Amino acid sequence: MTVPPGDTATRSRRCHGILAVRGLLDFPYWHELVLVMLLAALMLWARWQAPDFVTWETQLDLSTHIWELALMCLPMTLIIITAGIDLSVGSIMALSAVILGTAYLRWDVPIGLAAVLALLTGAAAGALNGVFVAWVRVHPLIVTLATLAAYYGTAVGISHGMPLSNYPESFRLIGGGSLCGLPIAGLLCAAAALFSAVVLSQTAFGQALYAIGHNETAVRFSGISVARIKLLLYTCSGLAAGLSALLFVGRRNTANTDIGTGISLDVITAVVLGGTSIFGGRGRILGTLLGIALIHETREFVSWHWSKAELNLIVIGALLIVSVLLNSLLSARRRLREY
Amino acid sequence: MTQYSVFSTRYLLLLAILAGCGGERAGGPAGSAKATGAGVQAQKRITVALLPKRKGVPYFTSCAEGAQEAAKELGDVELIYDGPTDGSATASADMIDRWVQKKVDVIAVSPNNPDVLAAAMKKARDKGLHVISWDADARPETREFFVNQATAQNIGCALVDTMAKDIGGEGEVAILSATAAAANQNEWMKYMKERLAEKYSKVQLIDTKYPGEDQNEALKLAQGFISDRPSLKGIFGISSMAFPAAAKAVRDAGRSGKIMVTGLSTPNDMKEFVKDGTVKSVILWNTRDLGYLTVYAAHALAKGELKAGDKTLQAGRLGEKTISGDNILLGDILVFTKENIDKFDF
Repeated sequence: MTVPPGDTATRSRRCHGILAVRGLLDFPYWHELVLVMLLAALMLWARWQAPDFVTWETQLDLSTHIWELALMCLPMTLIIITAGIDLSVGSIMALSAVILGTAYLRWDVPIGLAAVLALLTGAAAGALNGVFVAWVRVHPLIVTLATLAAYYGTAVGISHGMPLSNYPESFRLIGGGSLCGLPIAGLLCAAAALFSAVVLSQTAFGQALYAIGHNETAVRFSGISVARIKLLLYTCSGLAAGLSALLFVGRRNTANTDIGTGISLDVITAVVLGGTSIFGGRGRILGTLLGIALIHETREFVSWHWSKAELNLIVIGALLIVSVLLNSLLSARRRLREY
Repeated sequence: MTQYSVFSTRYLLLLAILAGCGGERAGGPAGSAKATGAGVQAQKRITVALLPKRKGVPYFTSCAEGAQEAAKELGDVELIYDGPTDGSATASADMIDRWVQKKVDVIAVSPNNPDVLAAAMKKARDKGLHVISWDADARPETREFFVNQATAQNIGCALVDTMAKDIGGEGEVAILSATAAAANQNEWMKYMKERLAEKYSKVQLIDTKYPGEDQNEALKLAQGFISDRPSLKGIFGISSMAFPAAAKAVRDAGRSGKIMVTGLSTPNDMKEFVKDGTVKSVILWNTRDLGYLTVYAAHALAKGELKAGDKTLQAGRLGEKTISGDNILLGDILVFTKENIDKFDF
């Protein structure tokens, strides 16, 4: 670059300003920051409008509504980072719940074994998705759209649509019990989130996921087994759905084919709101956790304050659009700068 | 410079979080004190949360209108009407949880899935809230009363009385039911047969058929009735499939007005058949009154005026209503005819 001599003073001043702006744009946690600010604003407003809503007791009680969704969001984040998707988690949840109920109530299997069976069912259903995605190489959208229907159908076929209710008190602890004043389901989620975050950000495996999202062919040529990674991811997703089913059944004391209806889209909404790019290659567990928190608090507060379920749908939709717009605005500017 | 800006944003973030936490802790007791103060000053208002099976469908919207009417009449009732827009039982259960935390006085539930809601309803009762069911019953141990819109006997008698009137008190009639195991229909038929034997000796029930939940099968069986029995005067279509199917069969055969069809349905579903004369009367309960009675029952329960074992309940413009066991009976069957059906839109 040629600069006219004698103009160095102005140039350096201008550079200084640009550097500051660049520094701001380089800040890697913009999306998370925006979510935290939205969340803080929401909670302050809620505190002002409905003081009873922002109390430890209420928040703790209402938090039970979110653990199942949160658990499924973790593997979903990893899957979406590889530019994949899993639409079938809700149906896997229903299938696992029905297997649990049928095993315990109809086949008289002890509850512990029934729970293991349910988890295995979830993992197997996820693995089947993985096989089709990784080896048969059908687009995950199509595979999981098909299994979304198929697993639900299987669940209805096994249970005949009848609710399976009443489980022992000991089992219900995982969904509704607490340890040192904190819900067991929440602690479970926290552990899973920490594990996912470490795997994603600190390991070669995590790096490989981002690489797959950016350029799968290149990763394959570099000698990494993409198929094995994908199989593992979809299996984990199924396992998480199975675990969510246990939490739900423990909490509501009933297994039923409708429990996962529509939840797949809620999971994907939370992940995308958290800043994970639906095209792969970008995303973080921290963002997903904030996305979950924001959706949860918004949903609870809107219902609490206005008692209008229909308003909730609109607000969540608007929130998603705003966050995605913000995200693409920021990343567009960042990309522009790179060239 | 870069370092600095990053740091300042982090500090801001931390500050925001701290501010949130601090506000929460400091404001807690003050907030509740204010609420109690207001409660002492004004007359204590009773908050009633009314949960439909599904929000945004005409049937439940008309129930909610009745509920609002009652709330306005009573004056001290704060009515919350909310429910899942997709009819999801999980969402309904979440709503009950929220109302428990919000400490409403009464929760009135029309359960879309009694089993999924049972845990939440039980928790509400354990926390000292009043819980009743309306429109459809919940598990008995999860609620105090059930506002029952119509007993099987009410429905059975109304069906027979209406048919007898429509066909002029004599002739052959047939029943198109649901499945042979359908509990509601079987119960209604028991009372229909009793009523026929008791009051209408000239009306003969010649046949009962079970098409299941299959519209085509219902149509075929109804056509069978019409062709096999030239002297047939009326068909009862007593399921949501059977009623329109029977009406369609009669109309297609060109026997509108000669063979009367009656049954249970919401008015909008049967409007076209009522207008063209195939169906003279459609039977249902008054959904507005159902919502109205539910709010009156909830109010009386919260005030301590309604207790287990009571035999009657005063319900505003509906007058005195009978309580049978823990069922509060609405009792009145509403008959839609050509004259009044346009007044109802659900």
